[in-house]
Amino acid sequence: MAEVAYHNICKSYGSFEVMRDLSLSIHDGEFAVLLGASGCGKTTLLRMTAGLENITGGELTIDGKVMNEVHPRDRDIAMVFQNYALYPTMKVFDNIAFSLEVKRLSKEEIKRKVNEAAAVLNLTDYLDRYPRELSGGQRQRVAMGRAMVRDAKVFLFDEPLSNLDAKLRAHMRVEIRQLHERLKATTIYVTHDQIEAMTMADKIVLMKGGKIEQVGTPDDLYDRPATKFTADFIGSPSMNFVEGKIHSQDGKPTFVGPHINLPLDENLAAEPGQKVICGLRPSDLVAAENGEISGTVKLVEKTGADVNIHVDLSETAHLVATMARDNGVLAGGSIELTIPSKAVHLFDADTENRIETQS
Amino acid sequence: MAFVRTKGLQGYITGDSPVPWLAPLVAMLVVFTIYPLFYNIWLSFHEYVPLKRRLVYVGTENWSNLFADPRFWEALSVTFTYFFVLLAIQVVLGMIIALLLDSDEPGFGLLRGLLTLTLVIPPAITGMMFLLMEDPEFGVLTYILEAMGILSGQDPILATSSTALAGVMLADIWQWTPFMVLIFLAGLRSLPQEPYEAAMLDGASAFQTFRRITLPMMSKVIAVAVLIRGIDLFRAFDYMFVMTSGGPGTSTYTLSLYAWQQTFSFIKWGYGATISLVSLVLILVIANLFIWIAKVRW
Repeated sequence: MAEVAYHNICKSYGSFEVMRDLSLSIHDGEFAVLLGASGCGKTTLLRMTAGLENITGGELTIDGKVMNEVHPRDRDIAMVFQNYALYPTMKVFDNIAFSLEVKRLSKEEIKRKVNEAAAVLNLTDYLDRYPRELSGGQRQRVAMGRAMVRDAKVFLFDEPLSNLDAKLRAHMRVEIRQLHERLKATTIYVTHDQIEAMTMADKIVLMKGGKIEQVGTPDDLYDRPATKFTADFIGSPSMNFVEGKIHSQDGKPTFVGPHINLPLDENLAAEPGQKVICGLRPSDLVAAENGEISGTVKLVEKTGADVNIHVDLSETAHLVATMARDNGVLAGGSIELTIPSKAVHLFDADTENRIETQS
Repeated sequence: MAFVRTKGLQGYITGDSPVPWLAPLVAMLVVFTIYPLFYNIWLSFHEYVPLKRRLVYVGTENWSNLFADPRFWEALSVTFTYFFVLLAIQVVLGMIIALLLDSDEPGFGLLRGLLTLTLVIPPAITGMMFLLMEDPEFGVLTYILEAMGILSGQDPILATSSTALAGVMLADIWQWTPFMVLIFLAGLRSLPQEPYEAAMLDGASAFQTFRRITLPMMSKVIAVAVLIRGIDLFRAFDYMFVMTSGGPGTSTYTLSLYAWQQTFSFIKWGYGATISLVSLVLILVIANLFIWIAKVRW
């Protein structure tokens, strides 16, 4: 059990700086997800935590002890790699047992621990096989088993589900989360998949260009995204963005954009005339007569339970609304939409930062 | 599926028969390998009689003579000693040097390149070089070994039967260990890095990593190197020919050297062919044994 803290971490490759002054702390037993697009530095941060990459500047502490110069083997960290990094010449049993053999545990104890992990991961029938004789999902579980038997202080996962198919991924999400509930170990999980982050994390760390964009619970990031980037990254389909201005109508602030005239919360810290970006979640939009938003239905996209309705507001402004199917909306027709004023997100057009409601 | 028929050079290939494709290779194989092999077998049942100036059928006489010939057994023993001792030294030494040179630090690329230098020298020249270095009067190796107390001044390395084979082996080690290093380095540098990172996090020491990760992953490469070098070592000829001519006594007489001596010095073509055939059979058995042992199961 351990608390992992990063203090002003910097990372450069030669003169190329990929991370600057990153500070973050992950509490004991927390499941933290590092989320971001490719190249944002999330895997680099994870590898620095494991000791597989040098830290150029700043300090990494685990349980208060500085780890910068500590060898990976002495950090007491278990890691599941993206490509699993199984030992190709060892059978599944030996793959899982290797760390225990290194620790010189007794044969009986090793056997007990490996069998226990194999039972949890449904690997009992595969202990006598080589990694090349396993499917992707089975290899992934072996990699998990190898981490499980370690009783390490910190668990690191580097996009462990990215090579699996959608169904298996959903299943393994649940397994990993259950594993965390059982072990209660501090876990840092890297992914670019916001659904993984939303479903698994206690805390999401959203990264962009080597910096932290926002840290918070999944609900925090979904309900109150601090920037347009966060709002765009979290949620599927993504949030709609429409550019416009704040007007004052009858003393109340109103967002005016192409075919949109949305009354806003009175307590919004926005000035009349301010250029803003209005963010509307597809699931918050509702079809309504005399709605504040009007447009032409371009496409009705079926996803199974719901349909995504693509609406053109103008030449340049489009949005997507998610609705139950059998709603009678047909492509080519016109549609009017409404949205509760509390569900409207506003961002400054210049800084792209969230415009808060003043209490 | 039929081949597309084309005119000109490829026009003679008609239909699906593989024979035209294989014919050139088979022809070469017949001329350079199969015919000499069968001629060799035929030769082992004949002997050249100088007075008659022709080969005479002698039945299995060459074979029965061979197994009763103490010099054959001595040569076989020398060959096996040379083979096993040098293979062990060159594999271990080659692996140690390869591990030391497996680095991306500046300068290591140059060092790896320099390794090829010993391989371009003809073995006979290397033999001459070591003959001079091991000279009892002015040889630098003799001087060093005497200074270290390993050798006493009375025993010239190559003229003492207990040290002559070791003296010849030095030339082979110097010239051919780099070959092992090069093959091992190529193998080491193509190994995946992830298992090493995983082993580091699993807490493995450098030795545990080498024994449990590197060595098993290198087994195919080691098998290939041992096979190539093993066949070479079994045919050892050049160094003894140049440095000791098989002496003193028969202490450095290998099978190849003995076959050469019987064939060309004593004009016993049939007997020489018989010795060569035994070498061939032994090489085939040993090579297949190595292939079987090194058969990768993962």
